[in-house]
Amino acid sequence: MKVKNRAAKSSLLMAMPMYVFTILFTFGPLIYMFALSFMRRQATWGVINEFYAGNYLRILEPVFSGVFAESFKLALITTFFVTLFGYPFGYFMAKLPPKHKNRAMLLMIVPFWTNSLMRLYGWIIIFRSNGILDSVLIALHLSEKPLRLLYTYPAVVVGMVYVLLPFMIYSVYSSAEKLDWSLVEAARDLGASKTYAFLTISLRLTMPGLLSGIILTFIPSMGLYFIADILGGNKVALVGSIIQEQLLRARDWPFAAALSVALMAATSLTLYLYRRITRSEDLEGLV
Amino acid sequence: MAKKRGISFSGIYLTLILIIMYVPIVLVVIFSFNESKISSLWGGFSLNWYGELFRDRSMFEALRNSVVLGLLSSFSAAVIGTLAATGLTRYKLKSGKVMEYFATLPIMIPEIIMGMVFLTFFSLLGLPFGMVTLVIAHTSFCIPYVFLMVKARLAGLDKSYVEAARDLGASELRAFYDITMPLAMPAIVSGMLLSFAMSFDDVIISVFVTGVNTNTLPMKIYSQIKTGVTPKTNALCALIFVVTIFLCALSMRISKKK
Amino acid sequence: MKKLVYVLLSLVLVTGLFAGCGNAQNPAQEVAPGGEAAQEDAGEENSPADSAPAENPAPENKGTFTLFTWEGMFPQEVLDGFEQATGYKINYSVFDTDETMLTKLEVAKGGDYDLVIADDYIIETAIAQNLVQKIDKSKIANYANINSAFQGQFYDPTDEYTVPYGSGVQTIVYDPERVDFEITGYSDLWDERLADNIGIIANYRVINGMALKTLGRSYNTNDLAEIREAGDKLITIAPNIRLIKDDSLEAELLTGEIAAGVMYTSQVTMAKLENPNLKVVFPKEGIGFGIMAGFIPSNAPNSDAAHAFLNYILDAQNGAKCFENLGYYSTNAAADELINPDYKEFLTLPEDFEQDNMEMIGNISDEANELHSTIWVEFTAACGQ
Repeated sequence: MKVKNRAAKSSLLMAMPMYVFTILFTFGPLIYMFALSFMRRQATWGVINEFYAGNYLRILEPVFSGVFAESFKLALITTFFVTLFGYPFGYFMAKLPPKHKNRAMLLMIVPFWTNSLMRLYGWIIIFRSNGILDSVLIALHLSEKPLRLLYTYPAVVVGMVYVLLPFMIYSVYSSAEKLDWSLVEAARDLGASKTYAFLTISLRLTMPGLLSGIILTFIPSMGLYFIADILGGNKVALVGSIIQEQLLRARDWPFAAALSVALMAATSLTLYLYRRITRSEDLEGLV
Repeated sequence: MAKKRGISFSGIYLTLILIIMYVPIVLVVIFSFNESKISSLWGGFSLNWYGELFRDRSMFEALRNSVVLGLLSSFSAAVIGTLAATGLTRYKLKSGKVMEYFATLPIMIPEIIMGMVFLTFFSLLGLPFGMVTLVIAHTSFCIPYVFLMVKARLAGLDKSYVEAARDLGASELRAFYDITMPLAMPAIVSGMLLSFAMSFDDVIISVFVTGVNTNTLPMKIYSQIKTGVTPKTNALCALIFVVTIFLCALSMRISKKK
Repeated sequence: MKKLVYVLLSLVLVTGLFAGCGNAQNPAQEVAPGGEAAQEDAGEENSPADSAPAENPAPENKGTFTLFTWEGMFPQEVLDGFEQATGYKINYSVFDTDETMLTKLEVAKGGDYDLVIADDYIIETAIAQNLVQKIDKSKIANYANINSAFQGQFYDPTDEYTVPYGSGVQTIVYDPERVDFEITGYSDLWDERLADNIGIIANYRVINGMALKTLGRSYNTNDLAEIREAGDKLITIAPNIRLIKDDSLEAELLTGEIAAGVMYTSQVTMAKLENPNLKVVFPKEGIGFGIMAGFIPSNAPNSDAAHAFLNYILDAQNGAKCFENLGYYSTNAAADELINPDYKEFLTLPEDFEQDNMEMIGNISDEANELHSTIWVEFTAACGQ
């Protein structure tokens, strides 16, 4: 009993720095945001300190609920493709010989040390009418005229997947890397098919990584807006974009805060349902 | 035989995705030799922008600030995040589940709101705005990434190692240092790499908590919007890219010899 | 093995750091023969030798001058020239948006920064928040060079607080090769022949204002019915809109992604320089414009330096260099004469310009603003359909 107490104490001690940071820098903004969302804007700048629920009523207007639906749709599509492309990458990377493993890991992150705006300009050059992609497709006789892909929904999805892929890759990699391959081999020796062995052993054991990857992809993709602005020509109305617009151009901070609270609630609820459905709480130690 | 085919398929897949990841960067590099003033429109070959870049010392100061900031904050986040993930996996604290949820919240709160709160908070504390406030702010938004990665890694790892070590008389600290940390290392490194990338790219929070003489690179780039981004920025990004690739190659060389 | 990754990584990062530090000092030396770079080192203690070749020995160091504005607002030549001429060391601090700037300034209680250059509407708010001090015109010998057309505007009706620095006029630019009719005003943008071929800036006061103007209203109307009516009109242009964005709109016009655009003046300048055949239209319905201006925060640590800087950029020659670099309309009448003829057409207002037709976009009531922002969301969603 005593030992247990001591273990609890030292565990708490280890977690303490994060607790402090979380309380100061997550609770703080959260409370501020919550309070702000029930205030009223002042004519040109700042807020009036009085209770006002109108911000939430405004969110219920059809135009704003449509925007929420649109953000949700994009986040789902993004998470789907990120998982589709990222999971195999992380998994294969973990199977590489150690030397290549390090190499692949470094190579994967280097593009992300280039400024995001500049990288998106790179995509603009690719997608532009008669740009690189068009030229390649026309040269290969896969298409006859420019596709005008830039400033369309597919361009936005490509940009989102591109930006969020490493989160999935690294999550899957760090949990697949510890996988005991002898288990898989044993299953194969016992006559399990490749697919069956993957589904019953590898997939199950890398589930924590997959889940944290999905969380790290889904949450940001609900709020990410600048990719839709730059590659989608601002024509996909997203919550993140409206929050930004309200904070800066309209200077309606309370409404922006209310939108943020609603966005957080929607995101949290989705993740909660997701955990319930996948019963991930049965898997030990999941977020 | 079958095994070999499997490896070559995964090899092709990995290479293909990596190539796609690099195409936009290569274009950024190519367009740094652009004659035209417009960043994404080819106007002929020129080295002018490199000349412009080297004349502008403030760009390099911003780059240095960004690198220092990225290193300090990803390192602090790695320490704090790893400790917490270890503590919370080893012993199920009641507050643990709640904390885990809260750790994901910073990713959901719009950056501007975080920025405004940081600004108010630091000024209440009387902290002078500059590198210190930048590091604190960046550390706080990097922690969740390290924490979630390490947590996923430690989940399901055999606890018996640590317990065995403890039974054999290793101190708590030793057990952590010798057993847990090496086990968690791939996740710590992943988290750090991501944190560095996040910090190196952040503009919205930085702009609020920065001081009068600590411009960071993304701030310099995004605040060009008013006058238009010129290939000077491409030139800088190209330099950073080439230097990083060179260093990676170098470190791989060294690791081979070892 | 894992330790190895760790070691390598630290190596990469640390070396990167040193590379960064090294470069920070190197560049000036590398281009030193070019002349201009030598001046940059003037403020550094270790470089008396570098500054020696300059004709005038550098005046004694008079302290730091902190300028707070967007990146790229001044050519390096002018910044260096100012340091050389006055002995102040410039500390160029940047912000991304006007609103961030005002928030920072509020927290600093009008201190920390010596001179801020920002957009008109935010200056009105800053003055109302008592964050701005009056300008001492006696310290600015070149004050008379200001073009009076840009003075006495809503944000500073009596010209006590600000010095204008550049003006943006919202214009339509189109490529006559791909538009087979003449565009003379905003209403032409609704033409079906422009389907999926127009690019516009992402500023709802400007774009909603475009619809207001076609209906003969003011940009700054507070009448909600008028704004609503304009909103309904605006939605009908959605099929023509290919993209909405603030940055690099000119590149889209030049590459043929769009055939016509409503854009900022700096973008118009860049587009015209690349392709002189493009047509620039001052819309017949009326012209919206904005002004950027410099102001000195109420507790500026070094307001003398700020006055000296304003005086320096109001000089005709320095002003001309600034505006050639900036790409916005010159607010310095004396500089107009000296601007390179290649640029002059885009940087000075045409002589036959009807000033009565111009209207600034100012702050409006919060109900009106709220309606504008809702309309904007409806509009962007409609463009995506």
